[in-house]
Order: sequence, then structure tokens, then C-alpha cells
Amino acid sequence: MTRRKTSGGRLFCADRSGTETANEKDEVFRVCLFANKQSRKTAETGCMYTGREEESEMQAIRVENLSKTFRVKRKEKGMRGSVKAIFHPQTEEIHAVNGVSFSVEEGEMLAFIGPNGAGKSTTIKMLTGILYPDGGRVEVLGVDPTKKRRQLAYQIGTVFGQKEQLWTHLTPYDNFRFFGAIYDLTERETEARIGELSERFALKEFIDTPVRNLSLGQRIRCEMVAALIHKPKVLFLDEPTIGLDPVVKENVRELIRQMNREERTTIFLTSHDVGDIEKLCRRIIIVNDGQIVLDDSVEHLKSHYPNEHAADIGTHEREQEAAGSGDSSDVSLEDIIVEIYRSQGEN
Amino acid sequence: MNRLAKQDGIVRCMPWRKYTVIYRSVLLENLQYAANIAVGFFSYAVFIYTFIMLWGYMYQTPGELIAGYTKEQMIWYVMMTEMIWFGSSAASVAREVSTDIRGGNIAYLMNKPYHYTLYVLAKYTGGWSIRLPMYAMLAVVIGTALVGPLPRFPLAAVPAMALCVVLGLTINAVLKMCISLFSFWIEDATPFQWLYDKLLLIVGTMFPVEIFPETLQPLFKLTPIYTVCYGPAKLIVDFSPEKCVEILAVQAVYLLAGCGLMFLIYGRGVKKLYVNGG
Amino acid sequence: MLTAVKNQMRVCFLSIKYNMMREMVNKVTFLTNVGFMVLNNASFLVQWLILFRLRGDVGGYTFREIMLLWGLVAAAFGLSHILFARVFSLSDLIIGGKLDAYLVQPKNVLASVLTSATDVSAIGDLLYGMVLGLICSRGAGGFLLYLLFTVTGAVVFTTFALLLGSLSFWFVRMDLLQSQLVMGIVSFGTYPDGIFKGVSRFLLYVIIPVGMAVWHPVHVMTDFDAGMLLTVLGYVCALTAASVIVFYRGLRRYASGNLMEARL
Repeated sequence: MTRRKTSGGRLFCADRSGTETANEKDEVFRVCLFANKQSRKTAETGCMYTGREEESEMQAIRVENLSKTFRVKRKEKGMRGSVKAIFHPQTEEIHAVNGVSFSVEEGEMLAFIGPNGAGKSTTIKMLTGILYPDGGRVEVLGVDPTKKRRQLAYQIGTVFGQKEQLWTHLTPYDNFRFFGAIYDLTERETEARIGELSERFALKEFIDTPVRNLSLGQRIRCEMVAALIHKPKVLFLDEPTIGLDPVVKENVRELIRQMNREERTTIFLTSHDVGDIEKLCRRIIIVNDGQIVLDDSVEHLKSHYPNEHAADIGTHEREQEAAGSGDSSDVSLEDIIVEIYRSQGEN
Repeated sequence: MNRLAKQDGIVRCMPWRKYTVIYRSVLLENLQYAANIAVGFFSYAVFIYTFIMLWGYMYQTPGELIAGYTKEQMIWYVMMTEMIWFGSSAASVAREVSTDIRGGNIAYLMNKPYHYTLYVLAKYTGGWSIRLPMYAMLAVVIGTALVGPLPRFPLAAVPAMALCVVLGLTINAVLKMCISLFSFWIEDATPFQWLYDKLLLIVGTMFPVEIFPETLQPLFKLTPIYTVCYGPAKLIVDFSPEKCVEILAVQAVYLLAGCGLMFLIYGRGVKKLYVNGG
Repeated sequence: MLTAVKNQMRVCFLSIKYNMMREMVNKVTFLTNVGFMVLNNASFLVQWLILFRLRGDVGGYTFREIMLLWGLVAAAFGLSHILFARVFSLSDLIIGGKLDAYLVQPKNVLASVLTSATDVSAIGDLLYGMVLGLICSRGAGGFLLYLLFTVTGAVVFTTFALLLGSLSFWFVRMDLLQSQLVMGIVSFGTYPDGIFKGVSRFLLYVIIPVGMAVWHPVHVMTDFDAGMLLTVLGYVCALTAASVIVFYRGLRRYASGNLMEARL
């Protein structure tokens, strides 16, 4: 119990975790896990980033010891392998998500990142009810996505930068009306919401142009409006700025910030673009091999990590500018993330 | 005219080796997908089975002749025309040429050191070299099991029949290519492609020409039906050396004229592309 | 409950409407597609004219009955492909992991999937079927029966495809079997049942639902039989229930991620 308090109430509510065994609790609290021992200290202090101490804060997402294992068929190469696979099918277990625990406060903007294949999308799929977990618990807005997927769907929104949700031959306006219908909004509610959002996202000039004739920047704004039409409390953004030019990227980020500020939308962001993370999120979770390897505030990570890993980070850059100042605060977030990914890969 | 002759010259000087290489690569690629080809067997079998049932009903007494065909001959006729249709899949030629021209890919392909039309034909040949023998085997199995072998079938004439079938397949592809090449000028050649296919399918593959009203028969014999499906299939179910020579001669004429037309249209089309810049 | 159903219907209706709008963006292509499908179907008249020149009946059917049969297959095929075209490529969606998009929506997954695509040329099929139905069915009552069987036939097409497509949740390469067997309804259904005998006839009632989708209805229309009509209706309900159950069983498997191997 004491340990829970030290984490500033940011982790799990008492009534929920009270039923767990001591062992499980340990699992739950091993949120911050560095592979190498020297950094454990950083991790523990990093967990308690400042600014969110209030016990009363409601949690938008709670994940406890979440696990997902896929069974994949193994086949040896060539004809013989194919024949063998028929008679002696060999399977291999892949722990896509392996004991992940974290929670997200209502109104928080969280970056959930990791190298390709780290388990990010599997986690998102479990949070949105697309996949059922094998172990652990998920609660999004107090709802179990596994059991009440449709009920939850009314309260969350999703934007996938690489997948279009809009009908390209229709105008944004018709699209929004369609999504309004999907979320059971009345005509009047839909109209009001379209008016409000089109103003905020500056869609007025092209709201009656078919989506296929829009630029990528205009289109992603429309994608976001479509995802926001039903005032979701949690918004899952998967690579929202992929393929956009720097100006439009900045524009989209500003809109996300604004959404978060004005409607207190909780943002769950995955992106390979460090700019997105740096400019939007205060907190960052890095996953690798299905496990959380870091859960820290962006600010803390930037100021503390370089000091402890001065030797590892930016070695190449340093070699190039041999007479560099050596000031560790110059190290960019990108370098830090690359270094964390690399050190994980080695282990 | 001058330009055409020059182009012809290029074709003649070109080593044929490159087309055999193209042919072999497609052949090897298709070999790996032999299992996928077998899936089409189902449609073929359904079609043939229905026809066996249908003709089984239409022929009321054994030994009866309809339009000069016995029941076995009638069914083998359909099996052979359908074998050519399923085994060649000439639609792929039309699809490829249309997509290349409409998608603008042609601009890159026509400057390659081969003649585009022959390149497509080599690929097509690589495709049917696998499919056709597979369908031929299936046809023989279904035929001997459910219909019975053809009476007085001359085994010695099989090479001549095979030659006839192969020429028919090639003529079909050349003609379909000619239609597709019109995409240089018109938005979409699919309707014409469709009309040509319908002519072959409805008039050429389901029934032998003799079953149609007599006034129409000479007309049908002038169309590609005679060289592409009727000729080869008729030869297989009712072989005679005279008929074989006749069909081969007509096929030779069709092939030469078809290829000439194909080179002509292609040359014109490419010239138009150069003038208008695609 | 009632509002939920109403809202669901509204979404499905919008979905189908928008699908149609997409296809009609290019008017010429749209009309050509529809027109050529009508012509395509009409071209098979040649086959039947030839066959009836040879004999007065084919498989016990008159020319009018054959046209009734042909029209019914075309209309049912058309209706199912206009409204629920996606079900015919359900295997691709499942194997490609593309059901995710429907799972994050607060609507019925099956309904959303079914109505998410349309097939324009199918309008030509439906048109042709309706024309044949108007010409060949007996009186207003006959045509009403024809309409009813168009609907039941479309349901058989859709649910049979749903049943086979849903097997993709368990087995790979069901996409091929799905399209082959569904097209089997068309291939066999455009011929009279009288030419099939014994085992094959039995299989066409049991394995491929040609009998219940086409032949029984034609018999009811030519020689009304209430028992047969009820059999058809009962069969349609049973097939629908079975396919929906299998789909949701499979969806549970999808959500458990055991299909990942197919998606990796």
C-alpha cells in the first residue's frame, strides 16, 4: 500500500488492486524497467514526474499486467518442410504483449512508442476491443473493451494516418453525416457538431469538395473531424502526421493540442515522429518485445537520461565534432530514443 | 509504309532468344502456382458436367445424330472448346495491354529492347504452356470416365491436332491484342473485347457451327470462330486429313494477317504517343 | 431496442446509398457496366433458342419456364450483389485482418461489413431478371411470388457466401472455395433440374443450395404448392441462422488473435 502512495496515485486505484496477490502487485508496479541496472534509479524517480499528484484524478485508461500471445505455425523451407508441416505442425508462441501495466489520466496526452513489432498495435487493438487479451485487465473509461466493445466505441475515436476511414468519393460534409449516423447523433446534433468542428479545423472552403480531390493535409484534418464527431473522451492516434509537410504537421499538432485543452480529450498517440511526441506529449511510454521499457515524463527523460548515458549517446555525432562542447543537454530526444531502442535490441 | 518496313526489319534482326527467356521465366513462375491453376478445374468440371447432363437429356435414343454429331462427339466438342478457353486465358493479354496503355506504363515498355507485342505474346505462351496440358489431362479423365472415349480416334493425328489448337490459341491472343491496342485511341476497348468474347463463347464454344440455321453457317465460318475454336475442336472429334489441311491453311492466313494488323496498329499507336506525348 | 434497430437501419441505408453514389460518379462507365450486363445475360437466349429448336422441352421445362428460371437466378444474384457485395469477398477481409475498422464502430459488425460495398453490374442482372419476371410470370399474383423468391434467392446467395466466407476464420484458402461454390449456384441454377439425376440432384439440394434457391421456387410458380413454399421459407431461415452463428463464432476467434499467422 505504501508503494502505491509513493507513485502519487498515478497508477491504480486502491479498490481494484486490493484483491491482487503480492506477487501480482509487484508485476503491476514494475512499470519502469530499464534493462541495465544503473538506470533503475533514473527510472524510479522518473515515474513520479511532477504535476499530477491529485488523488481524485479520474483514469481514462487502466491496463494491468496485460498479455497477448500469438501461436504462429512454423514451417521449414521447401517442399519437404511443407509436407512435414501437414503431419507434424510445429507452432511457436510469440509474446506480442507481455505483462504490460500502465494507466492514463483523463485529459492526458501520452506517447506510446516502440520499434516496429514491439507490440504497440496489439496493445491498441486490445484497448479498442478488436483483440481479446490472454491475460491481465483492461479498462477504458471504466469499461472493459472485451465485454462491452460497442458501448465503448461510442466514447472513443480512432485516427490511423495510414488507413483512410473516409469515403473518398464523398464530400467531407457527407462523410461527417455518415459518421454522425454511426454514432447515433440526431441530424441536428450532427449539424451543430460539424459547424463547430469545421470552424475549428478550418474546413469551410473545402467541406463540399470530394475527399479524393483534397490535399493530404486537408484530408487528415477531415479524418480527425470524422473521428471527433461524437465527442470521444479518448482519442487513439496512430501516426497522425505521417507523410505531411512540416507546416501541416505543426498545424495538425496544434489542433490536437487544442482538442485536448478545450474538450479534455485524452490522447493516446503512437508515432515514429519524435516531433509529434516532443510537441504534444508530456509523458512517454516505450515498449519493446511486448514489455514496457520506459515510462517517464518527456521533460525528465530529456534532462536526466543523457547525464547517465553520456558515454553511449550520440557517439557518432561526437566523433564527428571532436571538439564539441560536451554539454549533454544538446542531445535530442530522437538520439535518446534511438539509444534506448538500440540498447534493448542488444539485450 | 517506310516506317513499318523499318520496324519489321528490327523485328527480324532481333535475336529470338530474349523471347524464349521471357517465355521460360513465366513458365517457371506458373509452375509454382500449379496448385492455384487446379482451382479453376472446379469451374471447368461444373461446366462440363452440366453439359454432359444436358446432352444426356437431349439425345433420346442411343446412336442418334444431332446436326451430324453423336452424343459422345457433341460432348467432346464442348470439352475441347472449353479446354481451349480455360487453358489459354487470353483475357490476361487483353487486360495487360489495356492496363499498360491506359496506365501510361507503355511509355517505359516500348523503349525496351524488345517488341512490346511479342513480349506480351511470349508471356502469354508461357502461361498456357502449363495450363493447357493440365486442362487437357482433366478433359481426358472426365471424358473417359463420364462420356466414353471417342470412337475411331486416330492417335497418330494427335500432333496435327495439337498444332491446330496451338495456332488457334495464338490467333486468339493476337486478335485480342489488336482490339486492346485500340486503347491508344479510345478511352476503353473493353466493350469490343466483350463483343468478341461473346461471339466466341456463345456461338463458338457451346455448340458446333452445324447446329445453327443453315443460312448462318457460312457467315460463322468467316469469323475467327472457325480458326480459334470450331476448327481445332472439330478436328479432334471428327478427324480427316483434308479438313486438317484446310484448317491449318486458314489458320496460317489468319495468323499472318493478324500479326500484320497487330504490328500496324501498334506502330500507329506508338507514333501517336510520340506526337502527343502520352 | 427499437431505436437501436432504427439507427442501425439508417447507417446501412446510408452505406448502400453512398456506395451507389461512388459508382455513379462516372455516368458513362456506370451505364456501360449495367447495359453490358443486361446484354451479357440476354446473349444466353441464343443457347436456349438453339436447344428448344432441337426438342420441345429441356429437362421437362418449357421455354417460358426456362426464362423464369434464368430471370430468377439473375434477379437474386443481382439483388444480393447490389446490397451485400462485400460478403462475396468476406474471406479477403478476414484473412487480411480488415475487420478491425468495423470493430471500432458502435454498430453491428455483420451489418456494417455486408453493406460496405456494392457491385454496379449487378444492377444489370436485377433489371434483366425483373424484365423476364414481368414477361414470364403468370399475372400479378405470379409476379408477387416471383418478387418473394427473388428476395429469398438473394438471401440464399448472401448467407451461403457468408457461411463459406466465415470458414476463413478457421481455414486458409477458403476464398477460392467460397467463390467457386457460390458461382456453382449460378452455373447449375441456370439449367433445369430435370436434367440432373440421382446423386448429383441430391448434392444440388444439399451441398450447393441450388434446389432451394431456384428450382423449388420455379416449381411453386408454375404449379403452386404451399408445402413447397413453406419448405423454401423454412430453409432460408435455417440457413440464415446457421451462417450468422458461424460468423459470430468465427469473430470470437478473430478477436482472440489466432488468425495472426495468416496476417503476419
